[in-house]
Amino acid sequence: MTQPPRYRTITCDVLVIGAGGAGCRAAIEAAKHNLDVILLSKELVGKAHTAMAEGGYNVSLGNVDPNDNVETHFKDTIVGGNYLNNQKLAEILVENAAERIYDLEEMGAVFDRTPEGKIAQRTFGKQSWRRTAYASDRTGSEIMVTLVEAIRKTSVRVFDEMFATKILIHDGRIAGVTAIDLKYGDYLIFRAKAVVMATGGAGRIFTVTSNAQLDVGDGYAMAYEAGCELIDMEMVQFHPTGMVRPESARGRLVTEAVRGEGGILLNNKGERFMHRYYPEVMELAGRDQVARSIMTEVLEGRGSPNGGVYLSIAHLPRSIIEFRLESMIEQFEDAGVDIREEPMEVSPTAHHFMGGIKIDTEAAATIPGLFAAGECTGGVHGGNRLGGNALADTQVFGALAGESAAKFAKSHDLAGLPREDAINEFQRLEAMLEREEGISPADARKELTDLMWSKVQIFRKEEDLQYAVNELRRIEREVVPRIKVDVRDKRFNPGWHQAIEFGHMVITARMVAEAALMRKGSRGAHYRVDGDPNDLGYYNIVIKKGKDGEMELRKQDLVITKIVPPGMEAK
Amino acid sequence: MTKTVKAIVQRYNPDKDDAPYFQEFNVDYEPGMTVLDALLFIQDRFDSSLAFRWECRGGQCGSCAVKVNGTARIACRTKVDPDHPLRLEPMEKMPIIKDLVVDMAQTEHRIRRIRPYVARDKPAPRPEIIHAEEIETLREIRKCIECGACLSNCPVVHETWDYAGPMIIRQLARLELDPRDVEDRVAMALNEAVYSCTTCKMCEDICPKNIPIPGLAVELLRAKAVEAGYQLREGQQVFLDSINKTGRSVPEKSTPLLKEIETEEFLVENPRGRVAFFTGCLIDYRMQNTGKALIEVLNRNHIDVIVPKGQWCCASPAFRTGDMHTATAAAERVTEIFEHAMEKWDLDTVVVACAGCGKTLREDHRPLIEKKHGEPPKFKVYDLAEYLLDIVGKENIVPPKGEIKMKITYHEPCHLGRGQGVVDQPIELLKMIPGVEYIDDPYKNRCCGAGGGVRAGLRDLSMKIAKTKKEYIEATGADMVTTECPFCTIQIRDILKGTAIETRYIPDLLAESYRKGDKN
Repeated sequence: MTQPPRYRTITCDVLVIGAGGAGCRAAIEAAKHNLDVILLSKELVGKAHTAMAEGGYNVSLGNVDPNDNVETHFKDTIVGGNYLNNQKLAEILVENAAERIYDLEEMGAVFDRTPEGKIAQRTFGKQSWRRTAYASDRTGSEIMVTLVEAIRKTSVRVFDEMFATKILIHDGRIAGVTAIDLKYGDYLIFRAKAVVMATGGAGRIFTVTSNAQLDVGDGYAMAYEAGCELIDMEMVQFHPTGMVRPESARGRLVTEAVRGEGGILLNNKGERFMHRYYPEVMELAGRDQVARSIMTEVLEGRGSPNGGVYLSIAHLPRSIIEFRLESMIEQFEDAGVDIREEPMEVSPTAHHFMGGIKIDTEAAATIPGLFAAGECTGGVHGGNRLGGNALADTQVFGALAGESAAKFAKSHDLAGLPREDAINEFQRLEAMLEREEGISPADARKELTDLMWSKVQIFRKEEDLQYAVNELRRIEREVVPRIKVDVRDKRFNPGWHQAIEFGHMVITARMVAEAALMRKGSRGAHYRVDGDPNDLGYYNIVIKKGKDGEMELRKQDLVITKIVPPGMEAK
Repeated sequence: MTKTVKAIVQRYNPDKDDAPYFQEFNVDYEPGMTVLDALLFIQDRFDSSLAFRWECRGGQCGSCAVKVNGTARIACRTKVDPDHPLRLEPMEKMPIIKDLVVDMAQTEHRIRRIRPYVARDKPAPRPEIIHAEEIETLREIRKCIECGACLSNCPVVHETWDYAGPMIIRQLARLELDPRDVEDRVAMALNEAVYSCTTCKMCEDICPKNIPIPGLAVELLRAKAVEAGYQLREGQQVFLDSINKTGRSVPEKSTPLLKEIETEEFLVENPRGRVAFFTGCLIDYRMQNTGKALIEVLNRNHIDVIVPKGQWCCASPAFRTGDMHTATAAAERVTEIFEHAMEKWDLDTVVVACAGCGKTLREDHRPLIEKKHGEPPKFKVYDLAEYLLDIVGKENIVPPKGEIKMKITYHEPCHLGRGQGVVDQPIELLKMIPGVEYIDDPYKNRCCGAGGGVRAGLRDLSMKIAKTKKEYIEATGADMVTTECPFCTIQIRDILKGTAIETRYIPDLLAESYRKGDKN
């Protein structure tokens, strides 16, 4: 390369990366301190995955069940998390959920009401009381719309369609990030006194996911590369029933109510295969159990041609289907399937990452000046997340991270700029465009997602995980440096975006696989078919990039404040 | 063998290309395929640099709106038609960044200038008590995902950014309806030219969240403006004064139809049905022959037609411009007249030949009367073409025999197609006339610019929209454009003056064919 790529440098006080529920909330909070806040959004603002959340926001207001309180919410969260949660973080979640939902109302959110005019609350899985606040079945959208309205009221500078690629560190402190402008392809450096990561999850490292297209794990990979600690990366929540086709709808959620109403699961021989696994409860076994059963059928060759199984309600009276599964009828009509007549094709879908950037009670990551919130963090939800706790997480930890980042920015000067690192990064990105020969991102991506989907998914075993880890190391070594973009345009070039994302996906995938390999027993969402029954699994796995550039994993004691996991007292 | 669909995709990189161009791709069709599937197929298979936006693929985020065969829609919920080529272009009005990706920055700034958030004058109490009734309409209008498709399709925005467009007017209504918001949203709506909307309902039709923006936002804000004492334009007020004084929105010129005809009863031997004819102002006062043609067409099809005297305006101009006082009084009166006719002549069906009146009777009178009296008007309302095709039945329609040898296209009145769901029936009727070569206009459902009080109040804007309509019509190469709305007819006749293209009302054309057929 003859000349270093041209770039521009933009400076602010607080930089928030990611414009979903947590990122927007962090930016709003930081802006209250009259600082210069920049919000980087990888998509158009308002289009983040938060908008796809349906069910609701857990908060123990007791508006419907007056006996509910923060202690019960805490207990449900810890038990639901299989005791792996950082209990200090879980306390923060349950204690602040109420104030943060009132913040949303103050900003203009419209939640459904009780007859007294208070926020209505409904039943959700594994919770002691009706605790989940909602706006019909579009709660995430309601929250996203509200936050966008609120952002438009603030002085926050929004840079949309900006893709942050690397965290810059100077003298051990946060200095900013490098980014590309997706619209025009320009290289940028964003310098800031404090940075908040709110980059969401990584469902897209699996072939099948309920996640939006941009949830590829950018934040996990960037934090790892910067030297942050990450925690619980092996904990990935799979939902048993996602759509299989059409291609663009693959992984879209199919509500559990389908099975609740009497839907049956069939394999390609027409057998009601749940007999084989959970004959007593059949299709109504736990989510993880059903997901495992379905995957067994598929992997053993009894799946549908498209890699799923069949979910049929055609035996039910039409009136029941039309009345109670109205939206499913619509969703499958879009797919050209009349669920009153034909079976749905379904398979498990990667849904949520419980693990992520390790944070403390100030939402601070392990690098000074770096904070994080939302799905990109780990610790709040332990081994399994309760439905409704994610939206609450975005608001509670988004606000906390924004506040902490503002305080940090006010008490620190701008760190120096590691210009060479930035230039190296831009040259790396440039090389993808200039390479004469190499591997296309679409092919590379397929190889990666298929590997993760077949070897590191719902139920795991040593040899698969070892195979995956070996493969991922090979991909990191041999494929990532050879990624080549077909067309050299920088202006809005999805091929280039995918090429950059691919590197992030590989690092994220490796963390999931390496941590899963380390955890020998089953716990939470991590199920080992060859699980060591003596391994109770009461520890967290922390990942960090070592000094030699190798991935370092270590076990860490649980953070316990109130609830001692069963079986642990004796030891 | 896999079926393939030809996708014709607009490409453009402003850094390299002087102008947009089209590129064709063969897409392997799969049942249920969406436009987004097709785009992803092309991106993966042929060109990874093809630029388009998408995120959620489930109609939740609003990223993927593109023009599909001329109309902007979200790609993830729009089906690919396996039997037709798929033409994909970027949304209109927004500058192209690349291929199908447009620059939304101007839209974002326009949203920001309306202060698009709940403005409070004091901190919110915690908890805040809000009753479900207070937010019922608000919830409906709040589902917007800002995909921008309505802005691309809006015939007014197409002509001028003086009008903020459906999405933004909707946000103003959302805030006006919020009991917590203290800003003067009505004044803002007037600044954003809320009176520019023709209420063509294009925005509502393509909205992925089915938000009835003209009714729930535009007309609501206009009604609030009238309530707050803002004056309507002179051209609009004249109609309303006239309705209140005479029951007709326009002054009398030649002898009105209702005076000219000697009887209220046009009966046939062995009738297969009986309907009352709601004439509307323009057929009564300006297009008497069309009224007579309609009676004749129905009679020829063995339908008794009752034309009650003393009819009253449906007050569409009042509903559209926000004069709810005039609107309500008219709705009550019209309901009374026709419920009386139902009893007197033992019938239950009212046939309307004016798209605007039909829409108003069905969409505006019904809920209003139901709210006031606990039940909607007792009679059913049909458009003429709809009545003939759906009630009489195509097989029972007496075929018109007189040949009309012409190339004929059709303009779908907004308040007939999107207002009443009558889309195919008028075209079916046209095709029944011997000699007619029907030419389909892909833009037949685009507004002519007359409605919503725009022709009455903002003539320049109205004519701009009409001029665009003229271009669509001329592009068909037809000798004649037909329609089913007097207001559209007047507007289109105006704009086609000086061209060789005739403008006709469908009942007139039908009657002509019947009469010609008699002679042979």
